[in-house]
Amino acid sequence: MPKCTINGQEVEVKAGATIMDAFYQLGMKEKIAHYCYHPSLSIAGVCRLCMVEIEGNPRLQIACNTVVTEGMKVDNNSAKVNEAVKWGMDFHLINHPLDCPICDQAGECGLQDQYMAYGKYEPEMAERKVKKRKVVDLGPRVVLDSERCVLCSRCVRFTEEVTKTNELGIFNRGDRSEIGTFEDRPLDNHYSVNTVDICPVGALTSKDFRFRQRVWLLKNAESICTGCSTGCNVNVFFNKEGVFRLKPLYNEKVNGYWMCDTGRDTYKPINRDARLLDARLSFGGDKAQAKVEYMIPLMGAKKAAEWVREAKAANNAKSVALVLTGQYSSEEYESIVSTFKADVGTDQIFHWVNNPESFESFDGLLFRGDRNPNTKGLLQTLQKHGVMDNTWKDLVAGLESGTIQTLVVAGPLDFSVFPDLQEKLALFAKAKRLVWLSSGKSELVDASSITTVQIPMRTHVEKHGTYVNHSGIAQSVKPALSVVAKAMTLSEVADVIAGRNVKREEASSPIGKRAQNEFTTQRGAL
Amino acid sequence: MESKILSEHYDNPEFRGLAGYKRLGGYEMLAKALKMDRQKIIDEVKASGLRGRGGAGFPTGVKWGFLPNNGEPRYLLCNADESEPGTFKDRKMIERAPHQLIEGMIISAFALGVHKSYVYMRGEYVGPGKILRQAIDEAYAAGLLGKNILGSGYDLDLDLYMGAGAYICGEETGMISSLEGLKGQPKLKPPFPAVQGYLRKPTIVNNVETLAAVVTIIRDGAAGYRKYGTEKSAGTKLFSVSGNINKPGTYEVPLGYPLKDFIENECGGLKPGRKLKAVVPGGSSAPVLTVDEANRATLDYESLASLGSMLGSGAIIVIDDSNCMVDVLSTITHFYWHESCGQCTPCREGTGWLHKIVDSIIHGQGNPGDVDLLVKVADQMKGRTICALSDAAALPVISFVTKFRDEFEFFIKEGRSKVTGKGPTHAQMHH
Repeated sequence: MPKCTINGQEVEVKAGATIMDAFYQLGMKEKIAHYCYHPSLSIAGVCRLCMVEIEGNPRLQIACNTVVTEGMKVDNNSAKVNEAVKWGMDFHLINHPLDCPICDQAGECGLQDQYMAYGKYEPEMAERKVKKRKVVDLGPRVVLDSERCVLCSRCVRFTEEVTKTNELGIFNRGDRSEIGTFEDRPLDNHYSVNTVDICPVGALTSKDFRFRQRVWLLKNAESICTGCSTGCNVNVFFNKEGVFRLKPLYNEKVNGYWMCDTGRDTYKPINRDARLLDARLSFGGDKAQAKVEYMIPLMGAKKAAEWVREAKAANNAKSVALVLTGQYSSEEYESIVSTFKADVGTDQIFHWVNNPESFESFDGLLFRGDRNPNTKGLLQTLQKHGVMDNTWKDLVAGLESGTIQTLVVAGPLDFSVFPDLQEKLALFAKAKRLVWLSSGKSELVDASSITTVQIPMRTHVEKHGTYVNHSGIAQSVKPALSVVAKAMTLSEVADVIAGRNVKREEASSPIGKRAQNEFTTQRGAL
Repeated sequence: MESKILSEHYDNPEFRGLAGYKRLGGYEMLAKALKMDRQKIIDEVKASGLRGRGGAGFPTGVKWGFLPNNGEPRYLLCNADESEPGTFKDRKMIERAPHQLIEGMIISAFALGVHKSYVYMRGEYVGPGKILRQAIDEAYAAGLLGKNILGSGYDLDLDLYMGAGAYICGEETGMISSLEGLKGQPKLKPPFPAVQGYLRKPTIVNNVETLAAVVTIIRDGAAGYRKYGTEKSAGTKLFSVSGNINKPGTYEVPLGYPLKDFIENECGGLKPGRKLKAVVPGGSSAPVLTVDEANRATLDYESLASLGSMLGSGAIIVIDDSNCMVDVLSTITHFYWHESCGQCTPCREGTGWLHKIVDSIIHGQGNPGDVDLLVKVADQMKGRTICALSDAAALPVISFVTKFRDEFEFFIKEGRSKVTGKGPTHAQMHH
């Protein structure tokens, strides 16, 4: 374990660690300029910005490729280093188009941030800039602007080392070098948008996000991705119009620095246009005669409670069944399952497995076939309450024999992961009454042939909750924003059904006014 | 005076074929070396003071000593990617004496415990490539390559690899990348090739002339080799000389030979009525010498280093007073801009910047202050990158504009050459 001194500060690092590792270890990664270094990729050593002066060595060295030796004295603040970094920044910028006003990266750009910190500030380049390709379609999700590119090769190394798909390469040489793909092989691996995240400049932009918001108009909050049972840690970027994008947050145990492209889309069901806004009571039957009553969510829950009470009054609590998907938090499962067991008095509780064929699959990186964030939490709750042994067959039998008449379904938050929705709704229609809990609106549910009350639910970014991922890691989330303020949680519905006072969870603080010039992110790509 | 040690038989056409080469004593040293102790060969090369003839002048024996003894397969690569503007000595060696190189390579490979070796030749050398290919085939047929060479039990495979004509592939790690089938770009060091080179195995890369000189060292012994040259620059060296002289070509002289004498005697002096203006002593990347410096210089590593330049690959470019230095520099900056691999930012952007400034000047669009800017930019490109191409681009710029500043200032101010009086139109040939 060699010890070294970084800018006068002593630090002990692992054997074989580089000077850059020591900067990261000291939490000083923002004190050293760098573009090509990324802690999760191989060392390229090409941006030549992480220059340091090592006592006894007349030549400046790059921190990313210099292994710390015992007693090494490192300085990255000397006049010599500052001069080198200043000019290093300038070399990066002489051919950069400086089109920040129309660039999506502006506000979270490595060039902007690091130029502010280390720049030369006196441009001397009077020659014509190199012209390169603009708006290059690299694949289904990523667009390239070659003129903005600083050729750090992070994206190339990502496709080489992480996805091992090798779609990207650097073509041509010298100042004509450009990132590109081979003609017949677009960048369309399942992790392609990570290249946008690690791009320190605005060269790679996400088709989904580009031109939709300036980043300084977005707030961000930590959460998890609910796209599968991995539970990647994410930053949710939003404003009062809704959520605009997700970016992965580093978590060594869960997702490292990455997330998959499918996960990137999981913000879409959160936004208002996909949401069920009011409770909705319909009575099935002929479409022409269909009568629909709209009400606030709480009234919808009261309707459900009324149906459950009726069953109890008829001494037939077991005619009420509960169907749960793996889409909710562990706290909600605990609350609703214990309510059904204790207060309603039924053990007719079933687990809806949305895609049994691919449930166990895994792509080797992050993406899992179990497309629910909390299957594990649900199973733990069912186990705890002794209803693990209920099988789907029991439910089908109960519905077909008519013993189950009122069905409460904690349905999807994200319809896209429920390919079996139509089939399951047809089954549920064998009951007499359906209580449908879901955050999203669905024409299939609207067309339900039996008496149905739909109650809008909150999404994971609108409530507190714990989600247990595939490996048993429990991750808690806090509300980040409120999209449908009146929407409910499973626990609140449970309270209503049990006749308890509803402890409404505080809607997250409404989005306040943004302070002027408040940058929500720093060094977004580093 | 010329001392033809390596090039003794270069003018004899027989020397090119295996039979003639053997008749003139060829492959005798191989037979001798195969009976020697391997370490003894390495020690002899070390003691001879032989320094790498490719440009850097690193002591060959010391380089050989860096190979780790870890039982891994190791490679000897011959760098025949001779691309430094002004250099053409390796070409002559291969054309005139391909077996001399092959013999040197077998001896060196034997000493280093190598069983697989390549010659990496620049793509434009189609003719020399054919000659060497033919010589390799001859050597295989004669049992000088392949299994059990000359009954010694030693095996060596030797192959020729033609590059695609990139200057950067003459940089040893760029060459290794290219040989591996990758884009020809230098690799980050450490690890150095002796530890992790070709296919990540221990690798020695030596220049054509260096490997050929090993034959001489085995023949004459270290002491015999040292009869020529100076203490720190032992032996003879082939110099490629071009420019405004009467007899351009390749000449072998002992290191330490005065540059002035070389130009006047071997090169046949300047054309009548012309005066010497400047000399580039070691290929286009070597800082230019003024007349005064050239008159003091001797052709060895230490003399040229003390004058702030370098011996490099021994490519001497003689420039007389009919040349405009802005024009000469524009050729050089264009070359390095064209050849930068583009990996490291200071080189990728800097070579382009330097090229554009000089280009602006020569098109009559220079700005006051451009001379200082050229020096500033070039200064910041030195010692900042993975390989030495950035330095190679920066050094001539600094030396040209500081030593011939008046010509640059004149061009910027007047929009025409101080020497030729010509304006922008004549310079466009570079584009």
